[in-house]
Amino acid sequence: MTWAVRVGVAFAGTAQQPTPDLKAGKAAYEQSCARCHGVEGHGDGGDAKRFYPRPRDFSMGVYKFRSTTSGTPPSDADLFRAITQGLPGSNMPDWQHLDEQTRWQLVYYLKSLSPVFEQTKPEPLTMADDPGLAHADLAKGKAVYTQLGCAACHGAQGRANGMSAAGLVDDWGKKIRPANLTKGWNYRGGSQPRDIMLRLMAGIDGAGMPSYAEAVSGPDAWQLAYYVASLQEPAHWNLIAHAASITGSLPETLDDPRWASVERTDVRLRNVVQPDGEWVEPPTVVSVAVQAVYNGEAVAWRLSWDDPSQDQHGSPDALALVLKPEAAQGDTVTLQAWPYAGAPALDVCYWSAEDNAARETVTTDYATAAAREAAQASLTAAARYEDGQWQLIVQRPARPTNPERAASMTPDEFVSMAFAVWEGGNPGARAVSPWIDLVLSDAHEPAHH
Amino acid sequence: MHQTKFVSPCAIAIIVAIGCGGAKPQDAAAKPTTTEAPMQLADAPAGTAPAATGTAAVQVTVKFAGNAPAAKTIKMDADPICQQQHATAVQSEDVVVNGNGTLKNVFVYVKEGVKGSYPAPATPVTLEQTGCWYKPHIFGIQTNQPLDIVNDDATLHNINAKPTINVPFNIAQPVKGMKSSKKFAKPEVMVKFKCNVHPWMNAYAGVLGHPFFGVSDDQGAAAISGLPAGTYTLEAWHEVYGAKTQTVTVGDGEKKTVEFTFKAQ
Repeated sequence: MTWAVRVGVAFAGTAQQPTPDLKAGKAAYEQSCARCHGVEGHGDGGDAKRFYPRPRDFSMGVYKFRSTTSGTPPSDADLFRAITQGLPGSNMPDWQHLDEQTRWQLVYYLKSLSPVFEQTKPEPLTMADDPGLAHADLAKGKAVYTQLGCAACHGAQGRANGMSAAGLVDDWGKKIRPANLTKGWNYRGGSQPRDIMLRLMAGIDGAGMPSYAEAVSGPDAWQLAYYVASLQEPAHWNLIAHAASITGSLPETLDDPRWASVERTDVRLRNVVQPDGEWVEPPTVVSVAVQAVYNGEAVAWRLSWDDPSQDQHGSPDALALVLKPEAAQGDTVTLQAWPYAGAPALDVCYWSAEDNAARETVTTDYATAAAREAAQASLTAAARYEDGQWQLIVQRPARPTNPERAASMTPDEFVSMAFAVWEGGNPGARAVSPWIDLVLSDAHEPAHH
Repeated sequence: MHQTKFVSPCAIAIIVAIGCGGAKPQDAAAKPTTTEAPMQLADAPAGTAPAATGTAAVQVTVKFAGNAPAAKTIKMDADPICQQQHATAVQSEDVVVNGNGTLKNVFVYVKEGVKGSYPAPATPVTLEQTGCWYKPHIFGIQTNQPLDIVNDDATLHNINAKPTINVPFNIAQPVKGMKSSKKFAKPEVMVKFKCNVHPWMNAYAGVLGHPFFGVSDDQGAAAISGLPAGTYTLEAWHEVYGAKTQTVTVGDGEKKTVEFTFKAQ
């Protein structure tokens, strides 16, 4: 059988599969897996409540990422791949540091945890040949995307903002979100066209994504896979964000052509864990894209983040751009923990969709920043919501005197910057980033070599 | 066209049951059915007891005691194609109490006492998605009998079937008119169907190895006929109120009435 057709054996590792040794598998499981997946594999490890997606409950025998038909268990190779490569965007890491023998023993041990593997044989998918990137027809792929109704959940531009997205539940009745197709780095099963093709044909069992094997021809499905891959926006996880030097007035509009040449940094956002460790709802805002420019006097940021719903009242969409002021330098404060009793004051530039205004205040909590008080400095802001995405410009003086103790930004010096985002459709949650360094460059100063 | 949920066992009488002692072939007039193709049966595998049919029947009435819970209104605004198919808001179907104080959509079947094997009918049972709603909501089907799932709507539906004994499946039907055919190999009461795109949609199927089942209608009535003489355990299953059983003994040609009562909670 050819590689292209028999998907089931496509990823089989390099060594021959060893004979099962459940004792060895169990020992390896207890050492590496039990902490998250639970001692008996029920997905109830000590850390499990804090993770989204939750660690798999192996006793259910339901697996998401397979090369087998809808409803049939994964192949051994599918399990081996998940262990070896991990699931991007989740807390399941890759386990390449375990030798292959150990990983195969883990595969056999996982299978022993559910009777499904005895009751039903994995049925490998039969897939059409990959036409190759050279023969990808994105217009055709886009037509297939429309025809198959993908936008109902994934949204017209793939930003997970379809009409049905907010109401999705998984097979256990818990809320779940469809994949944001623009974020290839967040696809659990991999972001290559072939990975996408597998998801289309096999469906994602347990998660609600159905199999399209009976609804679309092989060649059309490949075109769709290439189209979906074309929706991905590569992320730039720079640890240092550079504010480009410009002369004259700062850009005030989102479409100012000067933004096009400014370096972009993506910053990962994670929901603040609730006090009792449980998720309120699945995270919907997972990253923010940042660009910055400096004209010697002030800084302008252009920010963009995906948010499935535009919420302006009640619990409005909002973003806080947080800087570490002088007094907090050296403090180990993180936005995952802040605010808390005894926390240092932080410089919060807070924008809300409710009034589309941004204000700056140095404070020990967000509530003060969100309140509209005279003591806060008003910042220039412009915002736009379009098809599942907010875009925002905020301007701020580099070395303000109001508010007092505001963070000062000086060229060639690092300023710690972080973000907090509120998504009105998910009111209990707050998505926050770690600190990243912002550096202003100044064309008026001699260049450093 | 109203689809019956099971094929009349009277048609089985064409193949005379062996060992039923005195059974007379019934004519098809006993059960009002729509015109459908005559059922074709595979030969019973050698060595197993052949399908036994008889002349006894059980008429079941499912009553409801107490006040019916208020029906919930379904919001379909997530999909305008669904919403525009309904002039008035749709009410949930999980508890439907008929005007005469009986309960609709109760799956009634013979749980114990059936002997022999009953080959799967070739005629399919049809599950429709119409107006973003499953029709029928509750139905019965035999093991290995084809289930034709049809999308009558111009919108994406997926059929997410969650059996625990049979093999589950979750398939997409994006196009109006699409039909998928599935089978369940093992008896299972009940198999739940749902749509992820339209989370208010759900249906339940009782999969049995024999044809002795029915669903209570808008008079609360369900009929089971063609039973060989014997003692049987009948179960009545409701998606909210659970299941109740009763034993019934029937002789040849006998027609017994059985009542179940479910109480409001």
